[in-house]
Amino acid sequence: MRQRALAFGLLAPALAIVAFTTVYPMLSSFWTSFHILNLSRSIELGRFIGIENYTEAFNEDPEFWQVMRVTAAFVVLDVTFTILAALGLAILLLRQGFGTSILRTLLILPFAMSPALIGISWRFMLNPDFGAFNRTIAAVLPFMRNTDYLASPTMAMGALISADVWHWAPYFTFMLMGGLASIPPETQEAARIDGASDWRVFRDVTLPQLAPVLLVAIILKSVFALKVFDSIVTMTGGGPGRSTTTLAFFAYHIGFRDYQFGYAAAVAYVLTAILFLFSLSYMRFAFRRTA
Amino acid sequence: MASIQFNAVTKRWGDFFGVRELDLAVADQEFLVLLGPSGCGKTTTMRMVAGLEEPSSGEIFIGDDLVNDMPPRERDIAMVFQNYGLYPHMSVRDNIGYPLKVRGIPREDAQKRIDAAAAKVELGPFLERKPAQLSGGQRQRVALARSLVRTPRVFLMDEPLSNLDAKLRVTMRAELKHLHHELRITTIYVTHDQMEAMTLATRVGVMNKGVMQQLAPPEEVYNDPANMFVAGFIGSPSMNLVHGDLVDGTFRAEGVAVPGIGGGSRTGVVLGIRPEDLRVVGPGQGVFDAPVYSSELTGESTLVTFNVGGRHVCARGDRHFRCEIGEVVGVAVDPQRAYLFDAATENRIRL
Repeated sequence: MRQRALAFGLLAPALAIVAFTTVYPMLSSFWTSFHILNLSRSIELGRFIGIENYTEAFNEDPEFWQVMRVTAAFVVLDVTFTILAALGLAILLLRQGFGTSILRTLLILPFAMSPALIGISWRFMLNPDFGAFNRTIAAVLPFMRNTDYLASPTMAMGALISADVWHWAPYFTFMLMGGLASIPPETQEAARIDGASDWRVFRDVTLPQLAPVLLVAIILKSVFALKVFDSIVTMTGGGPGRSTTTLAFFAYHIGFRDYQFGYAAAVAYVLTAILFLFSLSYMRFAFRRTA
Repeated sequence: MASIQFNAVTKRWGDFFGVRELDLAVADQEFLVLLGPSGCGKTTTMRMVAGLEEPSSGEIFIGDDLVNDMPPRERDIAMVFQNYGLYPHMSVRDNIGYPLKVRGIPREDAQKRIDAAAAKVELGPFLERKPAQLSGGQRQRVALARSLVRTPRVFLMDEPLSNLDAKLRVTMRAELKHLHHELRITTIYVTHDQMEAMTLATRVGVMNKGVMQQLAPPEEVYNDPANMFVAGFIGSPSMNLVHGDLVDGTFRAEGVAVPGIGGGSRTGVVLGIRPEDLRVVGPGQGVFDAPVYSSELTGESTLVTFNVGGRHVCARGDRHFRCEIGEVVGVAVDPQRAYLFDAATENRIRL
């Protein structure tokens, strides 16, 4: 009994910090989401309006659905390209060959950079007058000279996704390399002897055995993609228009630009609910023991 | 069905030679066992037949085909792996049927052949299970059925029994022997277990350090070893090897004199005698006397170890033989059953 008391006593400071920095803000913002709180008028919590902030988002705010569509498009494309790039890189880098160890080391560099810094660097590279992309692409395709990539909704989204893929692909490359390395090589050798081509070995034997790791990677990347914020702030500012405004950036914008904190809290909680579902499935797949 | 031919095949990784200048001809329908300690090159040799390793130099033929640059899937071979190499996400049925599936064999025909292969190794009731739900012996049978489901030109088996318990190993050994008798498919079988080699092989290839030491039928490898490595590797307990000199046809070492060996005089020789060719007799009645170091009853015989000039020498005695540790007994040697080796080259000295 005294052992238990001591254990709780030792944990108490840490728990107190977590409660103060995480649990309290979460509960407080949840409470806020049922009220009117307009910081441009008052710092006091306004009238209790029940779920009106939520119904406004789902039923009355056309921007909200626009943002949901942008978020869905961003997550689907971003996750797809990141995982495909990571899988390709993992397969290539797993082979022992000249320079693979150097390449593996270099690969970690993008991941070591701060996301905000990545956004700023990419913004510079995409600059229509002196950006590296502009110069490089114009050298091959002269009619693309002085294109303002971030001024077109499609290309801004493309740039945002490219930067995020560039940032995250290394991390998932390492994760998938671990997954690939844990596949018993005899299973692949057996398939080659049984008559399978390289592609069929990959499809019939490697991919199914990689599936659990792949699934965890996809869920994890979806969570990361839903939370993307820094690079939107530094690269596109959510624009042009609302074309690169995802849910996380939208909530920030309503709160810290429009000062509608009640509504912002509600939008943030919609995002939280989605993230919660992804986390649940992550917990299920990541900590499931194979039967 | 096909023969296999190695012409001066070398496999090296940098300075390390896996296999060195190997010439080997495996006849059609032969059961060749490659035997040797780990790292001797036996598995590398087999993997080169499979196409999982490329030779650094030399030529490999399966039948009349030069297969050096042929991918494994075109070689028409089947292989059983030490860890079985089963596809964990597929049922037993799909595992066995995979070689047919990739070849586009029609479903109905494939099902028939899967059932036949499964029946041959008595796996019928387990077809819908996943490999993880099977015991080691059953997994081994799945791997075997997968290689039997079509008729390959060559069977390759890489220590297929080493993960099984001793009892099952004996049963499966007999089954493999029977299967080979029934199917008559050229087989290369890799093992470090000499009992498997002796019982299964038409010929045994003993390898060490990437070099074929002796390639001969089991009884010849046992009774007429080409060198000290083969002599010491084959047989359990292994052959007694005593360093000494030959003086006028008598082998002399510290505490030992064995007359009647022949061969005149020569320094730096090794006398090899199998434990079963030594007899325990009364003191003074053998060629030397020695105190008993230990006595172990194995059931079928008694293993008696002596301390002779600081070395241990082992004799296999009758199962009724009993003695006390420390008791001095005589040891009789049949000089006809003794082997002589050159201590420097380790080659056999034939008299």
